[in-house]
Amino acid sequence: MVVREQKTGVDLAVELCGLMLRTPLIPASGTLSREALGEVEGVYGAMLPKTATPVARAGNPPPRVAETPAGMVNSIGLQNPGVEVFLRDLDAFDLGVPIFISVAGDTVAEFASLCERLADDERICAVELNLSCPNVECGGLAFCAGPASVEEVVAACRAAVSDKPILAKLTNGGVVENARAAEAAGADALTVINTLPALTVDARMRKVLVKGGLSGPAIKPVALRAVYDVSGVVRVPVVGSGGVTSGTDVAEFMLAGATAVQVGTASFVRDPYEILDEFTVYLKESTLSAKELTGALRGVRPVLTGGEDI
Amino acid sequence: MKFYKVKVEEREELGSYTLLRYRWSDGPVEPGQFVMARAAGYPETLDPFLARPFSFYDYDGEMASLLFEVRGRGTALLDLAPTIEVTAPLGKGFRIEPGLGRAALLGGGIGVAPLKILGRRLDAAGVPHDVFLGFADAKSAVVAREFQGAEVATMDGSEGTHGTVLDPIDTLEDYGAVYSCGPNPMLAAVKLAAGENSLCQLSVEERMGCGNGSCNGCVVPVRGGGYIRSCIEGPVFRAEVLAW
Repeated sequence: MVVREQKTGVDLAVELCGLMLRTPLIPASGTLSREALGEVEGVYGAMLPKTATPVARAGNPPPRVAETPAGMVNSIGLQNPGVEVFLRDLDAFDLGVPIFISVAGDTVAEFASLCERLADDERICAVELNLSCPNVECGGLAFCAGPASVEEVVAACRAAVSDKPILAKLTNGGVVENARAAEAAGADALTVINTLPALTVDARMRKVLVKGGLSGPAIKPVALRAVYDVSGVVRVPVVGSGGVTSGTDVAEFMLAGATAVQVGTASFVRDPYEILDEFTVYLKESTLSAKELTGALRGVRPVLTGGEDI
Repeated sequence: MKFYKVKVEEREELGSYTLLRYRWSDGPVEPGQFVMARAAGYPETLDPFLARPFSFYDYDGEMASLLFEVRGRGTALLDLAPTIEVTAPLGKGFRIEPGLGRAALLGGGIGVAPLKILGRRLDAAGVPHDVFLGFADAKSAVVAREFQGAEVATMDGSEGTHGTVLDPIDTLEDYGAVYSCGPNPMLAAVKLAAGENSLCQLSVEERMGCGNGSCNGCVVPVRGGGYIRSCIEGPVFRAEVLAW
């Protein structure tokens, strides 16, 4: 067993929207079950359970997951017991760190009423809007399909919850424009990025295996680029997400501009404590604190450039 | 999920399948519980990305064993690895209720795996049982020699009864308990054949992402609607819970 000792002399704490997080790691929504909480005590700076919707969702029929090179595609369909049952059972997620709640609705009004429902719950420190879900009023296009709909839903949530930070979780497509729109509408932070649209095919059976979202190390460079670009154009903090699998990955995301970093799929295949441990070693060797990393790449010319201007 | 590195102590080819043995101190409480396993190499390799779920084939207090079939890269690498990474015991297994009389154990293909340790535990509990094993062909049926007295059927007729695992059986309804593991269509047929009077428990084979309840990827449909996770609420379910 790994002894979960706090390394002395390394400052892991970061501040996000006025909340003090004792480490910059946050579980990505939908990747940490109640049953697995015993394995992660001391790892995360905040808790973030699976997305809650207004009423229970059964989720999609199986198969729901498929492995891909250095990643996986999932199509879970937001299976959850609905916000009331979710809140009834929320205390299990109290590990002594701030609790963030991820919400999703079918309409702007549903998003707003979820935020209203959470506004007075003192256990909840922040709300993350899962904007990758389809907006049934816009022909099923995701809420983050464009800046106009991002602005509308974030503004409605902002009006519904005034005294808790709102994080808008964005997908990679159009992320810079959507980030600007979310900030303008009052988001306190941006989570960048959600899974990438992906497909797996069973060639032998000649059918689609899983049509869903790609996560894992395969998407890390895409997510890093999004964090780098977004953090260059907004004032609000960015929470990096996408393929974080090692302590070095955490450092890379923070250097690229993230204030905190979400660990998702990697927690299926590694002990998240090892990721924190590696990050701690990185800080110790660099004689830096966690918060000093954020955005440290800014103003430093990239050594290598690709086929386009950076 | 935390994985533990263990050395493969023994590797045996059994027809189409491989049997691995490794030292392990934390065995299954219930037969039917499972292990997430992969070839060692993390985090440097990252590929194959996910570990694979395998039922405990056997456990004697010191050595654990896994039975698997090479079906893709994950199992191909596992088949070659001198060291593997495992986490276990996971999930809910078969419940043994000694008062129910004679038990029938039905395994299909690689689904025979949990029946080895189940048979051992039934013996220990004094529960008499019959074992029925079904395979595609004689090559995959080689493992049947590990199950003394088992009735074998093969789909191509190259070994034992020509047909499915159910074909050699007159009726399952006289058994107090029915335990089965195999592909879903087989389990559905076993459930039907078991009738309503026995305690029928089915171990499902689902693809898994995490194995610890987090990803909701390994669900099965339940009666009354919705899905439940085979890694936490299963992989062994009471037959009447399942919607097929």
